[in-house]
Amino acid sequence: MGRIVIRRLAQVLPLLLGVIVLNFTLIQFAPGTLLDIMSADQQVSDPVLIERMRVLYGMDQPAIVQLGKYIWSVLTLDFGFSYRQNAPVLDVIMTHLPATILLMVASISVALVVGVTAGVVASVKVNTIWDNLISLGAVFFFAAPTFWLGIMLTILFSVKLGWLPVGGMRTVGTEPSLVGDVLDVARHLVLPALSLGLFYAAMYARIMRASMLEVFSLDFVRTARSKGLSGSTIVVRHVLRNALLPVVTLLGLQLGTVVGGSVVVEAVFSWPGIGSLMLDSVMSRNYPMVLGVLVLSSLVVAVSNVAVDLAYFKLDPRIRAR
Amino acid sequence: MSSITRRRLLAGTAGIATAAAVGLPAFGQGAAPQPKRGGTLTGTWGGFEPQALFVPPGGGSSPYFTSTKIHERLLTLDNDLNFVPVLALEVTPSEDFRSYRVKLRPNVKWHDGKPLTADDIVFNALQYWKPLSAGIALKALVGAEAVDATTALLKFNAPLPEFFLKSVLAGKAGLVIPKHVYEGRDILTNPANNAPIGTGPFKFKEWVRGSHVELLRNEDYWDAPRPYLDRLVIRWWRDPASRSAAFEAGQLDLGVFNPTPAPDIKRLTDTGRFTATTLGYDNSSWVSTIEFNSRRDIVKRPDVRKAINLAIDRQFIADTIFFGRAKPAAGPIPSTNRVFFDPALKPYPFDLAQAGKLLDAAGFPKKRGGRFKVNLVAAGWFEENVKLGQYVRQALEDLDIEVDLAIPDRATSFKRIYTDYEYDIALSNNSGTVELVPEWTRFVTTDNIIKGGAFRNATGHSDPKLDDIVARLSAEVSPDKRVALAREFQANLATSLPWTALVEIQSTTIARADVRGHSLTADFLGDSWAGVWLDR
Repeated sequence: MGRIVIRRLAQVLPLLLGVIVLNFTLIQFAPGTLLDIMSADQQVSDPVLIERMRVLYGMDQPAIVQLGKYIWSVLTLDFGFSYRQNAPVLDVIMTHLPATILLMVASISVALVVGVTAGVVASVKVNTIWDNLISLGAVFFFAAPTFWLGIMLTILFSVKLGWLPVGGMRTVGTEPSLVGDVLDVARHLVLPALSLGLFYAAMYARIMRASMLEVFSLDFVRTARSKGLSGSTIVVRHVLRNALLPVVTLLGLQLGTVVGGSVVVEAVFSWPGIGSLMLDSVMSRNYPMVLGVLVLSSLVVAVSNVAVDLAYFKLDPRIRAR
Repeated sequence: MSSITRRRLLAGTAGIATAAAVGLPAFGQGAAPQPKRGGTLTGTWGGFEPQALFVPPGGGSSPYFTSTKIHERLLTLDNDLNFVPVLALEVTPSEDFRSYRVKLRPNVKWHDGKPLTADDIVFNALQYWKPLSAGIALKALVGAEAVDATTALLKFNAPLPEFFLKSVLAGKAGLVIPKHVYEGRDILTNPANNAPIGTGPFKFKEWVRGSHVELLRNEDYWDAPRPYLDRLVIRWWRDPASRSAAFEAGQLDLGVFNPTPAPDIKRLTDTGRFTATTLGYDNSSWVSTIEFNSRRDIVKRPDVRKAINLAIDRQFIADTIFFGRAKPAAGPIPSTNRVFFDPALKPYPFDLAQAGKLLDAAGFPKKRGGRFKVNLVAAGWFEENVKLGQYVRQALEDLDIEVDLAIPDRATSFKRIYTDYEYDIALSNNSGTVELVPEWTRFVTTDNIIKGGAFRNATGHSDPKLDDIVARLSAEVSPDKRVALAREFQANLATSLPWTALVEIQSTTIARADVRGHSLTADFLGDSWAGVWLDR
């Protein structure tokens, strides 16, 4: 198992290199540069100042030299300086990353718990009113745009009922104790995690239901029944465990999208995550920031995929044997 | 001195106006409500978080919005379009208008306790305003010196109109930054840009990226008892609908520059808990503009430009695309500019038949495949421009002009319109001061044809007569003659039409009904908010 972990982590290096080269090239091809944006924002048209900015941003050198320099500095764990934010890239990302990871973990947990439970219930009560209701719910949450769901949840829980805050991650201006802070963040996390989580939960519920039904029809389940095991033991210990594999596969794939793909939810709930930073940076062609975000999120994805692989082994020992 | 009393007076009268708006009994002028001290106000604007809290050369509205609560200017412009003193007690020209004496307010302290002196002004003028923030506006500045601790002298190589210089000093470029923090380091990358030290009513406390910045009352502020608030929190929501929800949930008190979707404004004000105003934007009026590329054979002709202007229904744009929060424009200079706008100008009527006749006469008769084909670029930095681009395409198609529409993102729009000049007709925007030079004139003068200069002369329009008018406008020191020249400028543009406005956008501020003392200066987004108070 240790060998597999090492092998997986070794794959991260070429992956990172690929991420850097590919995205650097894409940004070079995109029309407009950071210099255009910065000089437009700052209303600079003095050629001397523009030249000064070009040298400052390192854009006076050929693209291939810029790329080489960037790769070298990433290898030395230096992600560069963002002139747009007037701060080191790593500092800016690090202020956003915890919020993103928190939202990612929370929404994936919501998705797993709700999705798997709904899928199991639907498969056990297949073709009953329960099954139909769950299918209806899954279709609804899958089809409802996350921003719409987010706004509706806000209007209900924050505006009408006043139970939860409208957005942000912490109540501004209070200095609570550690426990108070955790509770405060949790209160702010509920709605964004639900809006994002329910979308994925819908998918998991459908996959889980299908997967459960398939496993139910297998011989070992019949054997378990004939042994006289109770219904719940069969469902939990025999069927559920085997049916989980496709969901775990999907989870591994989706971790990546959750890191970068929560821009909409972040916008609706003004959650200080990395998605908005990424969007702004792409829009302003701020490639040190874009590359920094991509490199770090591919790291997060790579590490979480190792965790997913380990989960496979736990769920299905046969995989380890191979 | 007299202007200070006027400012106080204005604060009082506006309080009454607000009181009347929320249905409280209006008192006589003498019984204006006394501002209350204390409280936390959460404010926002209709845009995103800034890239840095203070961006020395400008950086757009977002850093300007936050940094102006911390950094102040020498002067500001009130809603009656008079300059009132802030850090300067007075700014007076010499007889020949080639030098200006800046008399600073005594006993003003930076947030770190050091005094503001004339040396700071000299440093700002020579190291910051001229090379970085003001650009071409201060190209005539040749020197600055400190006469005594609180008097500085600015010297120019040509006569400078008083309104013009005061407009620069009271404008986006005129923030006063501390010499002792910035001297000897690159201003652009100084770490203080993300933790600014100013003279303003609020001190920087903390910036939580992605969420908010927290500012605390400056206890040593020169204009005691202001500021009235104990704490000002500027929070950013990326989504306009979320800002509406935040207002309704009581988590947002004051939002400038169109914080919510336009249809929500009525809903919010109808509850009686919120007020909306379009005051406080005269010195940063936004217009949506149409630019015709003079390098292209067809659209370089004034008769074709006139026909196209006749075919666009400005009232429709105002009512439908801007939900009534705009009005048809008569020319590039908005009518809110009570100093320079020429009231004789009227918006183009919508007259498709007349437009068709003009094109027939110009030698572009109706034929299969259209009269001719144009590339239309709508700058995608505002959501409205997307709809505007689609509408203008339809309008031109109704005139049998074939249209190739592109709505690129922000960076690409800059490149296509202002660097590559790759368009026949561009739909862009301008936001400018009351003063026409340079923020409005730079769209059309020959010396502003600068490849890559955003919001400069991208059309390539070059008219020696117009250049001459602008040159005289820049050097004329008599206010009356300047108004006459400004009208000449607008009349000239009305016939050649290289660039004009479709609609004047009416920016809106939304406030909780108990927020008082707001929207009293001509650029409230960039006001220090020292006079804002909570009636709770």
